[in-house]
Amino acid sequence: MTNRFIGLLMISLLVLSLPAAAATTPRMGAWVDEIVLVEEADSTKGVARIESGEFDVYAYSISNADLARKIRTSPLLDYSVSYGSYNEMSFNPSGPVFSGTGKLNPFAVPAIREAMNILIDRDYICNEISAGMMVPRFFAMNTTFPDSARYADTVRKLEIQYAHNPEKAKQIVTAEMEKLGAKLVNGKWTYNGEPVVIIGIIRVEDERLGIGDYFSNLLESIGFTVDRQYKTSSEASPIWMQSNPADGKWHFYTGGWVTTAIDRDLANNFNYFHTPVGMPVPLWQAYNPDPRFAEVADRLERNDFKTLEERAALFKEALELQMKDSVRVWLTDRIAVWPRAKDIKIASDMASGYSGTRLWSLTLRREGQVGGKVTIGQPSMLTEPWNPIAGTNWIYDMMPIRALAAAGVVADPYTGLNHAWRIERAEITVQEGLPVGKTLDWVDLKFAKEIVVPGDAWVDWDAKAQRFITAAEKYPQGLKAVTKMVVYYPKDFLKTVKWHDGSSFSLADMVLSLILSFDRGNPDSPIYDEAAVPALKTFVAHFKGCRIVSKDPVIIEYYDDAWYQDAEYIGATLYPNYAQGEGAWHNLAVGIKADAAGELAFSQGKADKLKVEWMSFIAGPSLSILSKYLDQSASELYIPYAPTLSQFITPEEAKARYANLKSWYQSKKHFWVGTGPFYLESVHPVEKIVVLKRFEQYPDPADRWASFGEPRMAVADVAAPSVLRRNRPAQFTISVKEETNGNPYPVNDIDFVKYMVFDSKDNMVASGEAKAVKDGVWEVALTAEDTAKIPMGSGRLEIVAVPIPVCIPAKDSVQFVMLP
Amino acid sequence: MKTIRSRRVRETLGRVARYTLLRGLALAVTVIIAVYLTVVIANMGGKVDDIRRGMIKESIAMMVLANEELRKMPAEERQAVLLEMEQLEVERQGLNRPFIVRSFEYLWTALTLDLGRASYISSDSGSRQVRLILLERLSPTLLLWATAQIMIFFIALFFALILSSRYGSFFDKLVIMLAPTSAAPGWFYGLFLILIFAAVLKLLPFGGLVDAPPPQGFWPYSLSVLKHLVLPVAAQFMSGLFLLIYSWRTFFLIYSSEDYVEMAKAKGLPGGLIERRYVLRPTLPYIITNFMLMLIQVWMGGIILETVFNWPGLGRLLYSAIRLSDTSVIVGSVVLYAYLLAITVFLLDIIYAIVDPRVRIGAEGGKA
Repeated sequence: MTNRFIGLLMISLLVLSLPAAAATTPRMGAWVDEIVLVEEADSTKGVARIESGEFDVYAYSISNADLARKIRTSPLLDYSVSYGSYNEMSFNPSGPVFSGTGKLNPFAVPAIREAMNILIDRDYICNEISAGMMVPRFFAMNTTFPDSARYADTVRKLEIQYAHNPEKAKQIVTAEMEKLGAKLVNGKWTYNGEPVVIIGIIRVEDERLGIGDYFSNLLESIGFTVDRQYKTSSEASPIWMQSNPADGKWHFYTGGWVTTAIDRDLANNFNYFHTPVGMPVPLWQAYNPDPRFAEVADRLERNDFKTLEERAALFKEALELQMKDSVRVWLTDRIAVWPRAKDIKIASDMASGYSGTRLWSLTLRREGQVGGKVTIGQPSMLTEPWNPIAGTNWIYDMMPIRALAAAGVVADPYTGLNHAWRIERAEITVQEGLPVGKTLDWVDLKFAKEIVVPGDAWVDWDAKAQRFITAAEKYPQGLKAVTKMVVYYPKDFLKTVKWHDGSSFSLADMVLSLILSFDRGNPDSPIYDEAAVPALKTFVAHFKGCRIVSKDPVIIEYYDDAWYQDAEYIGATLYPNYAQGEGAWHNLAVGIKADAAGELAFSQGKADKLKVEWMSFIAGPSLSILSKYLDQSASELYIPYAPTLSQFITPEEAKARYANLKSWYQSKKHFWVGTGPFYLESVHPVEKIVVLKRFEQYPDPADRWASFGEPRMAVADVAAPSVLRRNRPAQFTISVKEETNGNPYPVNDIDFVKYMVFDSKDNMVASGEAKAVKDGVWEVALTAEDTAKIPMGSGRLEIVAVPIPVCIPAKDSVQFVMLP
Repeated sequence: MKTIRSRRVRETLGRVARYTLLRGLALAVTVIIAVYLTVVIANMGGKVDDIRRGMIKESIAMMVLANEELRKMPAEERQAVLLEMEQLEVERQGLNRPFIVRSFEYLWTALTLDLGRASYISSDSGSRQVRLILLERLSPTLLLWATAQIMIFFIALFFALILSSRYGSFFDKLVIMLAPTSAAPGWFYGLFLILIFAAVLKLLPFGGLVDAPPPQGFWPYSLSVLKHLVLPVAAQFMSGLFLLIYSWRTFFLIYSSEDYVEMAKAKGLPGGLIERRYVLRPTLPYIITNFMLMLIQVWMGGIILETVFNWPGLGRLLYSAIRLSDTSVIVGSVVLYAYLLAITVFLLDIIYAIVDPRVRIGAEGGKA
C-alpha cells in the first residue's frame, strides 16, 4: 500500500513537473515561428499597412521627410535608423580651359573647388532641403563610422575651418577667376567676352534635385551663369561617368553613394574618391591630386604604416589635403528610417537597416511573445534567380536569404565588428610591427616575426586533376604570410548543425567552399566561367593557404596577406556561406552538374553567353533541370570533385544526402537548403510572396543574440563651471548614459571620450582624452598651462564619447567664460 | 449558266484570295516597320548603348565600395580587375557589337516570336527568356483587365441600349451627370478606395494578387484572388463605366432616329425587336471593332493602376523595361501587341463582311 502510494506520488510529481520543465526549456532557434515576406512597392502604403496591422515590418529605408515624421510620431509605429547613403558634389577637374569646347572651367582650379566648401551651407541642406533627414558631412568618410570618431579633433577643427562663409568664398573665387583672365561684367563672369556658363548635371530622383538647384543658386549669386540639366541616373551617367572630362559636357554633378555595411577602416576612401587610381574611368583619370595627397592616400590604402599613431597622422593629413583638393565636395549623410510595429523587436544595421544584418531574423520577435507569425513588406522581391554561388544580389532578396543561413562569424549591426557565430574561437597571429588590435573575447591575438605557411597547406587548385596544390609543391622554397588564423569550431559542431533537409553538416561542405573559390575561375574547370575570373584574381591576391588541422573537432588554419586593424576581420572560417547564400555540397553538386552540362549557369554572364537559364534553386525552368540532375546524381552516388572530396564523403553519406534532397524537393518544390534559423517553406514568384518557417533543429538558444535587438546608443552631457580663470586648473564632468534606459554607460563599454576646447574665434586651443572616474562619469581636467592658452572671453568645450557596442558617438558641448 | 456561275465563284474566290494576300502583306509590312521603329526608338537610335555603358561603370563603382577584397587590392591590380569586369559586362549586354547589327537581331527574334533574352529583367520565377517573362505576367493582367473591361463593355452596352430608348429619363440624366467622372483615371479612384476600404474600414486588401501566405487549395486561393480583384476592378468601373454608357447611348440614339427605325416603330413592332434588328444590327461592326480593340488593349495592362494596387501585371513590367532600357522586353511586348492588332484588323475585315451585308471584299462593288 505504502509502495503504491509512493509510486502514485512520484507519478503525480512527474506529471506536475512536466509543464514546469517545458516552461523552463529554453527556446531554440528563432523567436517567431513563421515569417511571411510580401512585396509592397509603395513606401507610403507599406507604412499604412503596418498601421492597419497587415504588416509588422516594412523593410525599406525611408528618407522622405513627411513619411519619416509620420513614422516617428505614430503611436502605432517604432523605427530604426540607418546612415548608409551619402551625397557629394563632383566637379569636372579638366582645364582650366576645356580642350573640347575652348570654354573656361573654373573647377579646374583647386582653390575654387575648395572655396565651394564654404560657399555651401550644409546645415541649410540638412534642415531645409532634406527637412532634417540628413546630417552634414565634410569628408570622404561616413560621419557615423568609427574613423570619424577616432579623429574627432581634426574633424571638428576642419569643420569649423570650412564652416559656411559665402563672403570669403566669393573673395577666393573672384581672386582665382581674375587670375584665369575672366572678367566680372554686370555681375556676371565672362571669359573671352562670353558668359562663363557652368553646366550642372542635377539628378532628379531624390533630394539631389533640391541640392542641385540650391548649389546653382549659390553659383549664380557669385556671378556664374548656370545651365541646369536635370537628369535621371541613366541619362546622367553617360555624361559624368563616361564622357571625356576635357569635352566640357559638364562642370558639376550631384553625386550619391551607398555603403551597405559599417566600414571600420575608411583609409582607402581617399584614394578611391579623390585620385586616378580609384576607378579606370575618364573622370577619375582626369584627377590630378597634389603629390603629397596622392602619396598619403596611397600609403593609407596600402596600410603602409607601422603604428596606429602613424595611421592617425596620415589620416589627419589626408583629411586636410582632401579639403584642399575637393574634386568632390562632401555634403551630407542621409538618415533613413526603417519602420515597424510598436511591439516588434528586430536588429537593424547602422548602414543598411533590417535588410543588411544577418541577425535580423534571429532577433525578430513580438514583444512578450514567443512564436507566432510576422509579416514583412519589402519594396521588391524575387528580382533575380536565387543560387548561392552567383545568384541574386538584390538587397531585398538577400534579406530572406540571410535568414536561411548561418555563418562562421557575423558582423555586429551596430559596430561592424565580427562576432563568433558557428565558430567557437580563433587564434590570430599577425606579423610583428603591424598595428592590429582586438576588441572581442573570441579572438586571441598574437604577433610573430614571420609566419610560415606549412608545406601541407593548400595554396592553389589543380582544376584538371581536381585536387589542391600544396605549399610544398608550389613553393618549394617556402611561403610566408602576413596573417594566420586558427579557427576552432565547437566540439559538437558536426553533430549539432543540420541542413534544412535533415542532412548532417560535414567537413565536405566546408572544403567545397574553398574549391569553388578557385575552380569556377579556372579555364580547366568543367564549370569555368569567365565572369568568375576577376573574383578569383581578387582572392588569390591575398590568399596564402589553408590547412585542416583536425577533422573532428574541426580546426582549420588559414593563411592570408590581408590584414585589418581589427583582428576580428582577419582570415576566413570556411563555413559554406557563399557570396549569395549558403550551400551544402549535395545541392551545389546538382547545380555543378547542370552548369557543367551547359544546361544552366550559376552566373548571369555565363547564362547569357550560353543562352541558357540563369540557375535558380527556388523557382522557374531551372527546377526541372536540377531535378533531372538530382536523380542522376542519386543513381550515380555522384561526389563532386571526387579526387578531393571523396576523402570527406562516403558513398553512404552521398546516398543519404541525395535522398534527403529529393524528399525536400518533393515537399517544398525548391532546392534551397541552409543551416540558418529559418527554412524556405514556399516561394510564390508571381504573387511576390516568400514564406519562411522556424527551423526546429537550429542548435542555438533564441536569446543568444538578444542584446542586439536594439543599439545601445549613448547620450553625453557635459557640465562645466560657467566661469574659468586663466592660469588656473579647471574641471569638467561628463556624464555618459544609455539612451534607452538612462543607466550609466559602463567604463569598459566606452572606447574613449575626447574633448576639444575652442576659443571665441573657434580656434582649437586644447584637446585630449577625458579620464574615466566611474561607470557613466568621465572627467576633463585642464591644467593651468591649458587654461593659459585660452584667450579671455567666451569659450567652448566639446566632447565626443565613443561607445564600443555601437559605432555612433555621443556628442555634447558647453559654453564658458574665461576671466583673468 | 453553270459555267457562268462557276466562273463567278472562281472570280470571287480569286478576288478574296488576292485581297487576303495583299491585305496580309500590307499588314505584315506594317508590323515589320512598326517593330523596327520600336527597336530604334527603344534604343534611342543606339544612344541607349551609351547609357548602358555609363550604368555599367556606375554599378562597378558602387560595387567597389561594397567589396572589401577589391578595396584592399593594390591599385593597379584593382584597376585591371575592374576593367575586366566592365569588359565582361559590355560583352554580356552585346555592347561590343554595332547597334545596327543588333537592331536587326532584335527585329528577327521579335518577328519569329522567339523574343530573345532580357538584359536586366528576370521573370518572377527567375528566367531571362522574354517569352516566359511576358507569359508569367499575362494571366494576372488578363484576369484584372479582361474582367474589368469585358464587364464594363457589356454593362455599358446593356444600359446604353436601354437609355437610348428612354431619352430624357431620370437615369438618362443621371448618366449624363456622372459621365465627367471618367475624367479621372482608374488609379485615382483606386487611391480613394484603398484609403476607405483598406486603411480605414479594413474590409479589403491594400493590393497584391492574393493573401499572404497564399491560401492552400483551388477554391480558397480563387476566393482570395477575387477579394483582391474587387478594388482595382471597382476603380476601373468608376473611371470608365459612365462615360462609356453615355457614348454608346448617344451612338444608339443617332441610330434610333433613323427613318427605318421610325418606320418599324410606326409598324408597331415590339421594342426589343426594334433594338435588336434595327438598332443593334447595323451598329454591330462598330461594336465588334470596339470590343476587339478593347480586348487587345487588355494585353498592355495599365502601369499606374497596377502600381497602385501592387498588381503583378504587364503594365508594371513594361514600365520596368522602359526604365531599365531592356530592349528585348519592350520589343517583346510591342511585337505581340502589333501581331494582335494586325490579326484583329485582318479578322475585322472578314467579320464586317459577315455581319454587314453592305460590305464587299475586293475590287467589285462598293465598300462600306
